[in-house]
Amino acid sequence: MHLTRSMRIVALGVASAIALTGCASSGGSTSGSGAAACAPSDGKVELSFTSWIPGIDKVVDLWNAENPNIQVTVQTGPNGNGGTYKNFFNQITAGNAPDLGQIEYDALPNFRVQDGLENIASCANVLDSKSKFIDWTWNQVTFGEDNAVYGIPQDTGPMAMYYRKDLFEKAGIPVPTTWDEYATAAAAIRQQGGYITNFPQNDVNWFAGLVWQANGQWFDSSTGSWKVSLTSPESTKVADYWQNLISGGLVSKVPAWTDEWNNAYNTGSDWTWISAVWGANSISSGAPDTSGDWAVAPMPQWKAGDNAAGNWGGSSTAVLKGSKHPYEAAQFALWLNTSDEALTALNKEANLYPATKAGLSLPVLADGVPFYGDQKIYDVFAKASSQVNPDFTWGPTMTQTYADVADGFGQVLGGTGTLSDALKTGQDKTIAALKAQSIPVVQ
Amino acid sequence: MTTAELAESRPVLKPAKPARSARPLVKHKRAILLFLAPFGVLFALFYLLPIGYAVYQSLLVVQRDGTFGPPVEVFGGLTQYVAVFQNEAFWASVGRVLLFGVVQVPVMLGFALVLALLLDSPLVKGKKFFRLAYFVPYAVPGVIAAIMWGYLYSPNLSPFTALTGSFEFLSPQFVLWAIANVVTWVYVGYNMLIIYSSLLAIPSEIYEAAKLDGASQLQIALRIKIPLVVPAITLTAIFSIIGTLQLLAEPQVFRSFTSSVSSTFTPNMAVYATSAVPNVNLAAAMSVVLALATFAMSFAFLKFTQRKADA
Repeated sequence: MHLTRSMRIVALGVASAIALTGCASSGGSTSGSGAAACAPSDGKVELSFTSWIPGIDKVVDLWNAENPNIQVTVQTGPNGNGGTYKNFFNQITAGNAPDLGQIEYDALPNFRVQDGLENIASCANVLDSKSKFIDWTWNQVTFGEDNAVYGIPQDTGPMAMYYRKDLFEKAGIPVPTTWDEYATAAAAIRQQGGYITNFPQNDVNWFAGLVWQANGQWFDSSTGSWKVSLTSPESTKVADYWQNLISGGLVSKVPAWTDEWNNAYNTGSDWTWISAVWGANSISSGAPDTSGDWAVAPMPQWKAGDNAAGNWGGSSTAVLKGSKHPYEAAQFALWLNTSDEALTALNKEANLYPATKAGLSLPVLADGVPFYGDQKIYDVFAKASSQVNPDFTWGPTMTQTYADVADGFGQVLGGTGTLSDALKTGQDKTIAALKAQSIPVVQ
Repeated sequence: MTTAELAESRPVLKPAKPARSARPLVKHKRAILLFLAPFGVLFALFYLLPIGYAVYQSLLVVQRDGTFGPPVEVFGGLTQYVAVFQNEAFWASVGRVLLFGVVQVPVMLGFALVLALLLDSPLVKGKKFFRLAYFVPYAVPGVIAAIMWGYLYSPNLSPFTALTGSFEFLSPQFVLWAIANVVTWVYVGYNMLIIYSSLLAIPSEIYEAAKLDGASQLQIALRIKIPLVVPAITLTAIFSIIGTLQLLAEPQVFRSFTSSVSSTFTPNMAVYATSAVPNVNLAAAMSVVLALATFAMSFAFLKFTQRKADA
């Protein structure tokens, strides 16, 4: 019959297409980890760099003006989990990834597992710069290994508590210093008609920052295979705490990073935000009507008198697999993240908080901030930065872990299950995702 | 919803079969090939090749050694398909869009049919205006429509806070129907236009004959117009089934308005989330299963309606 014949031809076409693509990509990746030799290239070098920091092009212009032989082109994209990581993975597979990419600390293991990073330990000046960086950030980019550097730390996100000083004073509610006091304040604020904060369903990395503060761990790879511990006692403690606030109706359910959320801060409906240093910018741009009413205090503690801080976010500049100029890329990454010139520009453009020890005393960080009643807020964060537990390990499929835990958190806000249940589900799905990628797991 | 399948579905629905007896000699074979070549090349490059590549990817599994061993893709047979069938989230999402389709598609097509019949009725004035007015929502891109409705539903930012503050349109129990409303709003006009153009093609002698027999406008609509536009309704139904299974933009946009839409809310979102892991092999297998299911359902619906027509 006519139809079947043409269908046969189509089928033949598909089959040959499969065969062709099969031949084309059966090569696979050959090189593994291990630092290869890192030599400078001859002549003029052009590098590409993908980042989502607003205004990064102006900072790179400074480098281009001083280094005519190493010219860097900037591409900007959405934030990492919002699409840029996906692009990176696709580009790495296709062999046309940019030379340099912005990668958050929590995504570095994922990129290493996918063989997407160049080890730049043997590039000049890289290993020597270890002492310049805040200890825990160096651990993140080296995975605690010798002779391994998979990125140059860029910024950090030490956490503190942003709060509406004026509202707390007017209501006569003491500013909480422990999590118990925070819960008490939450009830008092609810009686005033406000909420102490919202529970951000999708910011699972925020939740991880709280677990980090509580001295918990979610992953461990030191034994040669991955141990997943989303349900560790510390993690469960944090989950139960927020579960109580949610069950009591003491925190709002407005999703973070939405207009509704900005509106809640702008109209004084939400009173505090436990957040990272870069959050200073989010409040001032999202709630402009409240200028001068905010202040920053250290994170509430689990035990009165303790001094522990969590960390939320922070990025590194990594040299992606396949870069033909790892030496030049490494030199640019070092300049971008250690020179006073670049760090000052990054802070002015995007409020980035340096990952270097010296960077914390930059002149731009010494001033009072008008939005926060001229408080020297960076002093609070500098102190918090020194109180972050230096050992925190991220898993190799954080995009998946975040998505699955966030789905569970969403159900909790919808009235089904508990945060602990969500962590348990996240734990199971993470283990399944690791097994699906043949990543060794111990239960 | 997508209309990309338009080109493929149309020939199947053509009512008249070509005469088979005297097959004319084909002239200008080279010219025909030349004119077909642009389509053929683009079709192969951007349709067959990606599908073939997805099928190929779905047959691979990843192997590695140690915590940070580099991944090596090897042939894994149907391993990924087994994983798809064991993936509860994926099947939950399929169930969700099926429920969505069973309710939303008939409601939407019912609206579209009623609007088309009204436009075609001789009793209605201002046809041009209404035809355009009904169609305008389709000119709004799906994402923009979803954002607009997201704000309308929003409990604090909506212009109708008196309503949205007391009834949660974006609650986990209701969000699916909030999305159904957006989809219906966008696509009613589009489907109406397909049915309406089919109504315009009905010869006026039939109406004259019906009037002479004493049929009222309502009887003409029920007994003559609707039976004659059944092929058009079938076509819109198939587009709608395909579009429902491929639902992506509206729920994805709603994720920024509510916590009720999970990352695996619809099958396409589950595929997207899986590919972001990145687990492209499993995502490819999911895509193939979804495509086959879509094909099977569209085909089954077509067979079902044809058999009814023949009976």
